[in-house]
Amino acid sequence: MKEKFNYYTIYCKYWIITWFKIIPFIIRHGLFDTIRDLRRYPWLLVMLKVNRLLGKFGKGRTLRYQKASSIIVSGIVSSVTEMLGNFFFNSERMIIHEDMVPPEIFKAMGLAPFMAELIGIMLPMIEPHAMEDYIDMSESSGIPPDICSLPKSTMGMFLKNETPPAIAIVASNLPCDAGMCSYALIEKQLELPTFRLDIPYHFTDERALHYFADELKRMITWLEEHTPGKMDWDLLREICEERNRMMEYEIELWDLVRIRPAPLAGEAVWLTHMWFFNLFPGSKKSTTIFKKMVKLGKQNLSEGISAVKNEKYRALLWNPPLIHFIDLFNWAEKAYGVSLIMDSMSFNRLPFIDTASPETMLEGLGRNIMYGPMARHTRGPAENYLNDIFYIHKHFDLDMLWVAGHIGCKNTQALNGILREKCREAGLPLLIIDYDLSDPRIVPREGIIEQINHFMENIMKAKRLDL
Amino acid sequence: MDEFPDFFPDLLEDPYNSLIEKALDNGKIPIGYTCSYVPEVLLSIDNLMPVRIFAPGISGTEVADIYLSNVICSYTRSLLEFAMDDRYDFLKGWVFAASCDHLRRLYDNLNYLLKPEFIHILDAPHRLGEIPLSWYTEELKMFTQAMASHFNIDYGEKALIDAISQHNEFASLLESVGEFRKEKYPPISGSEFHTLMIASQAAPKHFLIDKINEFKRSLPERKKKSTYRARLLIVGGQLDDPNYIKAIESTGGLVVADHLCTGSIPGLTPIVIKDDPLTSIADHYLSRTSCPRMMEEFNARAASILKSVSEYNVDGVVIEFVKFCDTWGIEAGMLVSALRDAGIPVISLEREYRLTGEGQLRTRIQAFIESMGK
Repeated sequence: MKEKFNYYTIYCKYWIITWFKIIPFIIRHGLFDTIRDLRRYPWLLVMLKVNRLLGKFGKGRTLRYQKASSIIVSGIVSSVTEMLGNFFFNSERMIIHEDMVPPEIFKAMGLAPFMAELIGIMLPMIEPHAMEDYIDMSESSGIPPDICSLPKSTMGMFLKNETPPAIAIVASNLPCDAGMCSYALIEKQLELPTFRLDIPYHFTDERALHYFADELKRMITWLEEHTPGKMDWDLLREICEERNRMMEYEIELWDLVRIRPAPLAGEAVWLTHMWFFNLFPGSKKSTTIFKKMVKLGKQNLSEGISAVKNEKYRALLWNPPLIHFIDLFNWAEKAYGVSLIMDSMSFNRLPFIDTASPETMLEGLGRNIMYGPMARHTRGPAENYLNDIFYIHKHFDLDMLWVAGHIGCKNTQALNGILREKCREAGLPLLIIDYDLSDPRIVPREGIIEQINHFMENIMKAKRLDL
Repeated sequence: MDEFPDFFPDLLEDPYNSLIEKALDNGKIPIGYTCSYVPEVLLSIDNLMPVRIFAPGISGTEVADIYLSNVICSYTRSLLEFAMDDRYDFLKGWVFAASCDHLRRLYDNLNYLLKPEFIHILDAPHRLGEIPLSWYTEELKMFTQAMASHFNIDYGEKALIDAISQHNEFASLLESVGEFRKEKYPPISGSEFHTLMIASQAAPKHFLIDKINEFKRSLPERKKKSTYRARLLIVGGQLDDPNYIKAIESTGGLVVADHLCTGSIPGLTPIVIKDDPLTSIADHYLSRTSCPRMMEEFNARAASILKSVSEYNVDGVVIEFVKFCDTWGIEAGMLVSALRDAGIPVISLEREYRLTGEGQLRTRIQAFIESMGK
């Protein structure tokens, strides 16, 4: 009874907080215009249901764990309303960019970045079937069905003309061939000036660092020519310094989750990184979220409370999280006591940016991209992928590896054979979940649960705790 | 000589063909490569011999599927299957280009499973320009150093210039055969020409020169291909089985030009020596190929196809690509729109690496030709 009361207290508090962030935006935009734009951009309607995440992440969790995920949802709402503010009120400075392109530079140039893949990532978290129309649109326009459903979702949005008015596009050759090629179609569709960053495959030496830093300089020059943006190096320094502060908190958070049982887990680790490092780095609001995560973790630790009530297994999740089954780990915690400790999207090895000069900042930002998971893991060579897995396994004292085996990700599918053999050698239990990143019609929630049940019962010899 | 000489198709039956065997007896060092971004000319220096890897007659990819999965393009899976079946044991080294997701992972898996004595992957930039050219030149420099040290090969300037000159002479010989395809009634079919193209990548060139010259001399006397219904241009990536083109031509189409990775446009463009030979080679291989991996070149690729359409008096374009290829998958959809906008009839076909569904292919091409009113 007390647990239920606590749950609803936190739920209602953050439900109100998030609406207090959304309503002023609607008022500013105007009720009539909001209704018109909800029809014009149907995905906005899905976004308005963002509070569903409070329930998906919070239900049945311990107090501070629930609070942590609610703070993250509230932070997501803040950042999305800020982004939509640019969308509607600052479109003369809006640039559409691909993931794996540093948003810090756009912000330092006074531009309003809109990461096109954001919709395809965020919407299925709220409404699992949200991207199906966009995927179908791409496929009916000649894009083969086997292409990754994230670029298909993104292309579908552009093909349906449901994207913001923008002045330019910035893309790159990352994270994969499908992502890279999708921008050829987007460029054709929008008829906007487009810039593409070329990121080396051999990225681990000084030569690559200089090459990519030069690419970033070329991008800045191009943006200054094609947009009203002007580079403000002092602002970039502030952004990078703030990002460094956020990183310090993240490292502290990682140290906390190394402890068994972990005082925080799940979204506090993966969603914070995915959202605030990739989309809104260098903002004080983002840093505050991490600061709060560390504080909650420390409180739990000092009181001997684990995030997951009965942490029996500690898991590493590889590949992007299962966005249309975003409460997977909330379910797995209750079903088997599986706690998600670390994931491939969050873990990185070169976190800080040297802000001594423009050159060092560009190199630092370049390094972050090149060493980012969707670069060093998805492109190769295979050692990057395997070495990280086994390092994380030991460093975070993990019991099992769950690979989100997105059927459209050819890069990772093609390493499953080697991975199976390496995991067997290392004695690391491995579950490869067959599914599609954005399309639940391929493998629905029930199908994913069935695969996990098979693995837990047959390999881990575990019994369901919730039945 | 109306019959196409068996000599050429025979070379395509096995990667270890009679000419490779002969070259090995002469002390040649065969180096396998998989992509047009690997400068074949650098594998033609001294005793080296380039062998473009293919898997003719592959019947299944059961072992490769375990490692590469069944959502990777069947070309790469077929190569891994053949490799696991020791069919490339005669190779002394492997050279890859990090050109696409599939080939990068083939490199990873092959390296893990076979641990070849020499294996190298070149990082080819995804765009053109001075800085990427300098990067790629540096890549080639490091590659030649690795080759020189492993195989004791001299990559001096003279050796490079000689190799370029031989490369250009051979390309010009094939180009002169290809010129016959521009005729209203060419004496050579698309599948025959493609057989020459593939043979020249699968066997040592110096053993082919006389045979190609002999064939070329016979062409003016050869019976013309006068009964075709439509002149076709074929566009796509890796296609090393001329029987695919033969199946297309069996329906009354005549493939008069090709924009294929393994084909003649722009594959037979000569290397122009501008600066030092290595930079010229880098420039040639980076800017020559027509792969959609070059992310800023869609318009140039479409324009080049349109140019060939007019140069070869083409009636319709056939785009083919191996299923699961992301770059060609997206490119094909865009090319269809671009060519239709230009008023060119076009069909896009997804296929497996090995020739399957021949009947379906024929039916689709037949319908395509009929849709052109031919």
